[in-house]
Amino acid sequence: MMPSSPLNLRRAIIWIGRLVLAGIFIYAGYAKLTMGMRPRPPLGVALSFFALQVDSYRILPSWGVKWVAHTLPFAEIGLGLLLLIGWRFRIWATLVTLIMLGFFAAVVRSYALGMQINCGCFATPEPLTIKTVMRDGALVALALLMTIFAFIEARRPHPWTAPEKA
Amino acid sequence: MKHRGILAGAVLLSVVVAFAVLSTEAASQYSPDIPDVDPHKAFGSKNAPVTMEVFSDFQCPACKTLFTTTNRRLMEDYVSSGKVYLIHRDFPLPMHAHSRVAARYARAAAQLGKGESVEQALFQNQEKWEQNGDVDGTVAAVLSAAEMTKVRALVKGNSLDTAIDKDYALGQTYRVNQTPTTVFHCKGQIYPYSGVMTYDILKQFLEQLLAQK
Repeated sequence: MMPSSPLNLRRAIIWIGRLVLAGIFIYAGYAKLTMGMRPRPPLGVALSFFALQVDSYRILPSWGVKWVAHTLPFAEIGLGLLLLIGWRFRIWATLVTLIMLGFFAAVVRSYALGMQINCGCFATPEPLTIKTVMRDGALVALALLMTIFAFIEARRPHPWTAPEKA
Repeated sequence: MKHRGILAGAVLLSVVVAFAVLSTEAASQYSPDIPDVDPHKAFGSKNAPVTMEVFSDFQCPACKTLFTTTNRRLMEDYVSSGKVYLIHRDFPLPMHAHSRVAARYARAAAQLGKGESVEQALFQNQEKWEQNGDVDGTVAAVLSAAEMTKVRALVKGNSLDTAIDKDYALGQTYRVNQTPTTVFHCKGQIYPYSGVMTYDILKQFLEQLLAQK
């Protein structure tokens, strides 16, 4: 089997997706935990404030809102780090893509229903507008391409791998 | 080599973490003294550990939901017990034709000590008066003839608009652009939040604020 080129388009998109999505996930998780404030509010205050934002989407029951609010910021940081490190990349890329699809579905639903809420993406007061929908759509597309290309590339020998001895 | 990818990832990781830490240099969000509080539109103790300013529009459906569901329990459990100081702020959105008129009537009624019943009437009959613009009739239904005469006199004056404009301008300093927006003040920090709040989730947040040392 021919090894793939180290500089092909698929590899470039995987790297762009890896860097962009990892950066966004780490920043989003960190921003939710600190709320961008100095001095930083206690963790309990930050997480319960984020719960208000999750609740504003009117999708989950109270227990679901609390569970998401208390796990999502840590999951975002963890997944961002795992994307960057690259260990078991396809597993984490798939998980990130599924989470991004979930975010996108929630944002589209709220926008379509005309709900006057904040996105809650980066713990700042950011109204949910068509701009938010388009941004999330672009990130979902990037995540999908990154994951699909990662699976395609995994079927080919890596260009830096030494050829097998006959 | 597969390990080269992981090594490159680890180097990038440290760069990104450093960037994330440094980039969250948000300005301090210490709350200023809360200005222009109309005592007729504020509830509870001024010395309460948490202050909530609710920027609201009488013609906004989400404001109606907040008023008729969460606010009642909030008043009973937190405002009455002195834990929360609740301030109602008028933020009539330009896209709503009658919301400023409704805000005038509610302010006038508040000056006569009838604010709560008039606010309730305005929110509960929101669908009716937003169609026909009959704010006066809606308010008249819950006030006596003498009270209504005083309210109409106050509505005709300019003083109510000045107060509404001050609330609106204050909202703009908090970057309020939709209603309802609630600005929480606690321990010198401010937490702006837009949208309706379920009581259970709001309670959790308030308990966390109150538990701060």
